[in-house]
Amino acid sequence: MSAMSMPLPRSARALRLEFKRNAVPYVLPLLAAVFVFDTLRTADGFAPIWALRASAITDHMLFEFGAFAGGLAAWAGSREGRRKTVDLVATTPRPAWARRSIALTGTLCWLLLAFLAGVAALYIQTAVQATWGGPPLWPVLVGAVGVTVVTVIGFTCGVLFPGRFTALLVAIGVLVLYQAGLRQALGVTASSGTSALLSPANAPPVVDAGVYHRVAPDLSIVQVMFMGGIAVALFGVLGLAPELRQLASARGLASARAALARSGGWLLRAVAVILVACGVAASWTAFALAGTAKPDPVGGWEIPALHSAASDQPVPATQDCTSSSGFQVCVHPAFSFYLHDLATALDPVAAEIAGLPGAPTGAKEVASVSGGQDVQSGTAANPPVFEFTAERVGAMFGQFNGIRDWAGWTPGFQQGLLDAFLTGRPPHPGPVPILLGPAQQAVEDALLTAVGSQPLNPNVHSAGVSAAARRFAALPASARHAWLATHLTALRAGAITLAQIP
Amino acid sequence: MNVEISDLTRRFGRTRAVDGVSLQAGAGVFGLLGPNGAGKTTLLRMMATVIPPSSGRLRLLGRDPGSYGPRREIRRRAGYLPQNLGYYPGFTVMEFVEYFALLKDMPPRQVPRAVAAAVEQVGLAGKARSRLRTLSGGMLRRAGIAQAIVNDPELLLLDEPTAGLDPEQRVQFRALLRSLGESASVVVSTHLVEDVGAACSEVALMDAGEIVFRGTPDELTARGEGSGAAGDAPLERGYSAVLSAARS
Repeated sequence: MSAMSMPLPRSARALRLEFKRNAVPYVLPLLAAVFVFDTLRTADGFAPIWALRASAITDHMLFEFGAFAGGLAAWAGSREGRRKTVDLVATTPRPAWARRSIALTGTLCWLLLAFLAGVAALYIQTAVQATWGGPPLWPVLVGAVGVTVVTVIGFTCGVLFPGRFTALLVAIGVLVLYQAGLRQALGVTASSGTSALLSPANAPPVVDAGVYHRVAPDLSIVQVMFMGGIAVALFGVLGLAPELRQLASARGLASARAALARSGGWLLRAVAVILVACGVAASWTAFALAGTAKPDPVGGWEIPALHSAASDQPVPATQDCTSSSGFQVCVHPAFSFYLHDLATALDPVAAEIAGLPGAPTGAKEVASVSGGQDVQSGTAANPPVFEFTAERVGAMFGQFNGIRDWAGWTPGFQQGLLDAFLTGRPPHPGPVPILLGPAQQAVEDALLTAVGSQPLNPNVHSAGVSAAARRFAALPASARHAWLATHLTALRAGAITLAQIP
Repeated sequence: MNVEISDLTRRFGRTRAVDGVSLQAGAGVFGLLGPNGAGKTTLLRMMATVIPPSSGRLRLLGRDPGSYGPRREIRRRAGYLPQNLGYYPGFTVMEFVEYFALLKDMPPRQVPRAVAAAVEQVGLAGKARSRLRTLSGGMLRRAGIAQAIVNDPELLLLDEPTAGLDPEQRVQFRALLRSLGESASVVVSTHLVEDVGAACSEVALMDAGEIVFRGTPDELTARGEGSGAAGDAPLERGYSAVLSAARS
């Protein structure tokens, strides 16, 4: 039995034709190339943390797929106008809405399949590299609804304004809309209006998003509501398109009544009006909910009406540790991919200061946000352990994870450990800590030089600091250790001058 | 009567494209003749339920197309070939005809056989799996006719169906028209009088939105005899004589 002779329902047969002769497959190679070049490469540069990698779905994929989806849907929607089949299809009993729904569904199926294939590629790449956790589904749903709404917008534009340039204009419009939404979202603060959070595109989350605490789905829910509402309302507008045209061309009330009497059945009109009303209500509700958003204690946004306290509970996990040299380094299992490199970097510095008062006996990664504030690294007391976050170490933040050349971030970790040791500062939530004093900086640079590392940004230090650092580094390790044992308290208090450094 | 029209008018702004036309047509091939701009296409578009009349009464297949339900039923039972046939270049001939069979609400089980039969009737069986973009103008016209007849219509409306067909195809098409006219009302709009002479049992001649002649092709021919009207064939002379009389 051939495919054509299969006893499929009418709509399914028509959908098969639309699917078979859709324009989307012709554009898929280009879309795939853009996806690999932008989304996949960008995500590969992120640490293999599921929530972080998944942010590429809404921050990059949606940008690319949105433009293509809008343009292709507009192309499909404008088909009857472009191909001048309006008269021909108008004489068929199938209502325009039903006919267009099938064309829209065919286009949407292709676009969603392509989108989900992209998500699969992204998640497979992450699964191969990640050491903990699993794929988050909310970003996928937000992305899929984003592709859907853009498709419906494009299709509606194509139906209402058929023309050969409609597709291009819609694609450009989607790009502009996306960028405008992103800009607005980036500018959102706790004290500003938060409605711009409806934009699915936003700044990437902190590196350990979804690791120590769950990512609350509040924002995703309102984004899905908002975009889904627009899609549903526009689908209803598609159903009313013939009536709207008739009314637009009607002259006077009697003419309008006659036009409405002539056009589609009341049932179709009623369904279309209900869809428009439901869509507008959903979008408006989402808009209102987004306006009530406030920062949650773990670095995201919460919407009180939707928020579940369970989202704020820590995610239980046993840290991965290594202590080959006696200095124990522990990280969350999600970050165990850099545990070995980290221990290799910290061990020689820890050895330089071992036995000194307040010298850390280990290093431990903690959550990067606490009480809604960024946590700065420092040395916790009893037992003294250097605590750092995957987002911030010393003055370095958000730039080391994902860098495959570990030599690039090693000095930053070493410096972070020494910063905490030389200032005696405990880990704390708050703003970026004040820089070291000149004597502290000179000692730090000397210790880094002693373990074979280059101090970060040595050029910004004064000549006096550099000279003192060179002098101190030239001392034997035992002499440096002895001097520090004697002068550490004064050094931490800022009471040592450069001249006093041997 | 499958077509009952009385005092039908269609205005576009201040222009009366169709002005107080009345006519009836039953089974058979009905020719609609007239010069360019006479209102033939507008009348056919109203009969195809593409556009509503501005005033007058129109009943098709015993139903009022002004109401939604009856209009759908008329569309189920009618076929229409517009003057400017739009098409989807990526579709094959079979897919194009199948698409319209589905839009005409044909029972899915009947679709494959009906599509094959329609394509066969217009002589495109050999090109059934060719994309429309690869077809010549005449073949496209035949594909358009195939979609119009796929639902075995009781009312078939054809606007310039022989435009683009070669002489052999036109002869075949006229034979097809005659066979379709045995069971259905076929209204053919054309400005080619030889099509009317060969295929139509009845003819109306339109000019400036009005019907200026109604009768058989023989009666139209008779109007030209001894009138001194221009034309190479008797029917053409009748056509010219009627038009001259209407305009004088």
